[in-house]
Amino acid sequence: MFDNLLIRADSLCNDVVDGEVVGFRLAVRIANYRGVFLSLHNGYYLEVDGVVYPRDVQTFEVNGKSPRTFEETTAAVWEHWDYDDEAILHVRLPGGLPPGEHIVRFQQSVLAAYGYLPTDEEWVHTPPEPGTGAGSDKTPYIVTYTLTLNEKHAEPEAVA
Amino acid sequence: MSMKRGVSLYSYQQSQFLKELDLEGQVREVSQNLGGADGIELVDEMSLRYPDPGDDFVRRWFDWMDRYGAVPVTMDVCMDVLQFRDHVMTHAECAERLEHDIRLAKRLGFRNVRVLSTVPIEVIALALPLAESLDIRLGKEIHQPMRLEGQQVLQVLDLADRTGSAHLGIVPDLGIFQTRPSPVQLQWFQRRGAGTQACDAAVELSGLVMREEAPFPVPDTSTAGNLRAAFNRYILTGDCEPALEPTFAGVRRFAEERVTAPEPLDFTVVAEALTLSRTSPDALRQLTDRVINVHAKFNNMTEIPGRPGENEDIAIDYPAAIGALADGGYQGYLNSEYEGQRYFQDLPREQLMDEVDQVRRHQEMLRRLTAA
Repeated sequence: MFDNLLIRADSLCNDVVDGEVVGFRLAVRIANYRGVFLSLHNGYYLEVDGVVYPRDVQTFEVNGKSPRTFEETTAAVWEHWDYDDEAILHVRLPGGLPPGEHIVRFQQSVLAAYGYLPTDEEWVHTPPEPGTGAGSDKTPYIVTYTLTLNEKHAEPEAVA
Repeated sequence: MSMKRGVSLYSYQQSQFLKELDLEGQVREVSQNLGGADGIELVDEMSLRYPDPGDDFVRRWFDWMDRYGAVPVTMDVCMDVLQFRDHVMTHAECAERLEHDIRLAKRLGFRNVRVLSTVPIEVIALALPLAESLDIRLGKEIHQPMRLEGQQVLQVLDLADRTGSAHLGIVPDLGIFQTRPSPVQLQWFQRRGAGTQACDAAVELSGLVMREEAPFPVPDTSTAGNLRAAFNRYILTGDCEPALEPTFAGVRRFAEERVTAPEPLDFTVVAEALTLSRTSPDALRQLTDRVINVHAKFNNMTEIPGRPGENEDIAIDYPAAIGALADGGYQGYLNSEYEGQRYFQDLPREQLMDEVDQVRRHQEMLRRLTAA
């Protein structure tokens, strides 16, 4: 679902902290027709120009809070990522991305489901690896975007 | 009295995502532009700030209901059993979540709560006393590939008999009367690389399944999404639940006999025939007393050839379904539930389907069929 709309087109930009480029960021939406408790969000398969950026260099900024790792969000069991809201995916990469066009391959993993599944117990102990399609209910394939690095600093869209 | 008409705001999921139509705009569209429809159904986690939309919102909500003459009919609720991540939720925990949602529905003036087709009957039984005390009716969705003749409906009828509850029933999703894959779904598969042979095979297998002539057993106990995920895993790894193995092997063989050098996606397309329910309209007629409301599912409304202004979904047998409800004396809500927008979302934005137009066409059909 929402294949071409899961990443806001103008949102790819480098992350600058204290004048230093520490990585890059993307503005993302949920690949479903509804929101979910944030704890269910299991990270991204993210490949930029052929390089894979795994979950341990990803952090997630949502609901006006500082970026959290996907280990930390597993504890957000009563906090909801609402359907209407954009979130920011931060990726640690000292020096960031070079200017110009980038090929981004993307899959979101959210452990939302229709009731009990045979994989439930397994996923408590070993959550699926994003990119396999498992735990990517409504968009279980990798989507490719061509994005131009935005040299301006993008902020999350204001919450309505 | 005849049947009443409404819309599940699920139909406007893409317009909401794109911020083209907000919740108030959706309510206004339903009550002002659909020729007498007034029923509102929504998915709590789609339409609301969840789990608590706040008192200000609740005031605005009732203001919209008054201003537009809309009626809160049914709130659809979900169940994610991995919420706590460190364990799989027990039935008691699932019931607590359902009870929360029942209270939320009451707070917003809804009369009914739709629970997913996959929710165990034990969970419903645990939450039923609260529903009774708040005068909220619980409806278990019966969604393709389930059928009305199956265990899912019997469990609901048994629980209703055991408890004597008037607050328990079913929400049939009219996708159970689907007869073939929707053309828009097949076109979507083709743009992703599926072959025409696979699409033809899916339509052929659908015909066999509908006539109970498939050369292998066809299950009726899963959900369409879970069945698709299990089948795709089988094609990639060869693994599946033992009970599903004869079916999945049968679909693979059927596809291999008809598709030259089939790719995994070709198998996926052919397996769509497994999602047909093959349920009988007469079962719906007999169950009318237990129908809480109806999800009038559709994927693609097109004008009927030679009948300008009249519309149909060629893949779902609406005349049979509406006829059965009429014969059974149904007086509840038929809520349009459009789901075909997802089959255009690989295309550029200007080619996305117009949900508002699709629902208007669908309501034209419902008006015509319920007046017949």
